[in-house]
Amino acid sequence: MSALEYNGGSVIAMVGKDCVAIASDLRLGTQALGISSNFQRVFPMTDRLYVGLPGLGTDVTTLYERFRYRVNMYTIKEEREINPETFAHMVSSTLYQHRFGPYFIEPVVAGLSKSPTGALKPFIAAMDLIGCINFAKDFVVAGTASSKLYGVAEGLWEPDLEPEDLFETISQTLLNAVDRDAFSGWGAVVHVITKDRVISRTLKARMD
Amino acid sequence: MDSIAHPTQRQFNPYSDNGGTILAIAGADFTVIAGDTRQSEGYSIQTRYAPKVFPLTDRAVLAVNGFAADGNMFVKKVKQRLEWYRHAHSKDMPLRAIARLIQTMLYARRFFPFYVYNILGGIEEDGTGAVYSFDPVGSYEREACRAAGAAQSLVQPFLDNQIYFNNQQPAPGTSHPVHLPLPTILSIVIDSFTGATERHIEVGDGLEMYVVLAKGRGVQGLEDVRGVQELSVTEEGERIFVIRRDLKKD
Amino acid sequence: METSFALTGKGYVIVAADTTAARSIVKMKDDQDKIKELGSHLLMAYSGEPGPSNAYIIMPTQPTDPLLSFYSGDTIQFAEYVERNIRLYQIRHLYPLRPSAAASWIRRSLAVSLRSRNAFTVNLLIGGYDLADHKPTLYWIDYLGTVVEVPFAAHGYGSYFALSLLDRYHNPDATLEEGLATLKRCINEVSKRLVVSPDRYKVKVVDKDGVREVEL
Repeated sequence: MSALEYNGGSVIAMVGKDCVAIASDLRLGTQALGISSNFQRVFPMTDRLYVGLPGLGTDVTTLYERFRYRVNMYTIKEEREINPETFAHMVSSTLYQHRFGPYFIEPVVAGLSKSPTGALKPFIAAMDLIGCINFAKDFVVAGTASSKLYGVAEGLWEPDLEPEDLFETISQTLLNAVDRDAFSGWGAVVHVITKDRVISRTLKARMD
Repeated sequence: MDSIAHPTQRQFNPYSDNGGTILAIAGADFTVIAGDTRQSEGYSIQTRYAPKVFPLTDRAVLAVNGFAADGNMFVKKVKQRLEWYRHAHSKDMPLRAIARLIQTMLYARRFFPFYVYNILGGIEEDGTGAVYSFDPVGSYEREACRAAGAAQSLVQPFLDNQIYFNNQQPAPGTSHPVHLPLPTILSIVIDSFTGATERHIEVGDGLEMYVVLAKGRGVQGLEDVRGVQELSVTEEGERIFVIRRDLKKD
Repeated sequence: METSFALTGKGYVIVAADTTAARSIVKMKDDQDKIKELGSHLLMAYSGEPGPSNAYIIMPTQPTDPLLSFYSGDTIQFAEYVERNIRLYQIRHLYPLRPSAAASWIRRSLAVSLRSRNAFTVNLLIGGYDLADHKPTLYWIDYLGTVVEVPFAAHGYGSYFALSLLDRYHNPDATLEEGLATLKRCINEVSKRLVVSPDRYKVKVVDKDGVREVEL
């Protein structure tokens, strides 16, 4: 039994035209037994930056609290919001600090990063449990349904999707992938981050 | 020096996994059966062209995936049984009978199974397209679509979405089509294998898609397909075509 | 085998736990209270993993053996540690921790303990009535430090029977009588279907008036 699969759950993030989306299922279980259908594992870090933490339930909470604390300290000391790239490296180094006794989490970061000119650029990244970063240009996946998410996303995703189309694409990808995974599902949540607002929706899903 | 003699254990593993993926989708009056042509063992590619999809009769095509040696032997034995049937009854075995034959042949080896996942596609006696999928010991089911093999977990949820329209709401006042037209299905098959090739190391090189058309259907949907090749000799009964494609190499 | 249930209703949380204290195959006690009153409006049901059948052999000879953590003695140790720290907070600050804050603190204690040499093997149900927003809240916490707010919860073998019943019969707007009736269904089902079922339970309720014990 792997600690990464003990509680189940999956996260996916996708890039669109001047927007990004991050989505997750809502199940928390102990192996085959479902405990909760409202377990949040995607968290806002700033107004335009979200992090998804699929993996062992206890580490979801521990890491979320840790990142919230460190982002708050960064904001106070630097007197500015953290960049998604900077945050991704912060997550990565936090994980690598525990190289030989890791947190059982494979984080996904999604946000809009501000370039020196002030323009906003979509940013997504995923990591393994010891912090090796994958900066993808299209989509990243993690969790117990990752192989299914790869398959569906590879078939549905296309470049330069507008926010509403990106929402549909990421939702369909997530729902159809988790329906083939016994450890993921039981509802889903989607956040589409655009330059002037974040659209968050909770999706109904199969409950079996 | 060890003075106590220890019993030595020897073990021989008669199985191997040769990767690859197969897939079949049934239409109203046709069926598409496809498979990639890469054959691998571990991280080594044994060949870039080893067919996994075999025409059995003019209306039945069998795709086999798993342990290639068992797969080839199994196809050989099925073909032999179909030939005996032809000699005895002067006709080809109907599809549903082939499906049951495969189940008995697989279950006969319940305690030393053929390590293969079979998908049988073709035209039923009533002229409808049909897909039968099997596990290695003969459990089987008729379905509208099925993927099997190394990239099953990548392809099957995509098919659930594109063929069964799972998690999709039809536009108000309309309903989802029960059967899709041939060109749509061919596109979905190509997209499935392109996606699987992109993300799975055991899938790639070539793609072979067999198309079985019901009797008197005509070739609508195949006219504009590049490089389509007919395998059946007569236009009277069911007709079989094969379409070959390279899978992306980057 | 140890079992505990909890469910929320209209303005209350019911917490129930069996009262058996067992070592290996021996029942040592059948009237143990495994629900601590952590404050005027906070309840905590605690249960540990059942001890291994050979625990009594390992314990006297190797007191530092890691298997000791399975000895359910440390459930009581942990529960008292929590009880005193929650009380200390109230004495220092002159107001108690809210249920969500208490659950967070307890969770962190378990999460820190998990990566220590001798982790506590304690599963908890935290039921409380939040006097600030007038809401009953229930937290499911396991020995790993996994916490989740839920409408109903269970621990132990009983959970495999109770959760499906609670899925069917739980109503967040139910009166206390209806809530207790649902709890009874769970207890009866466990008695009927679980081989090693406990025969007595202690049931406590927390609502706007505080905590109290109820007889089923």
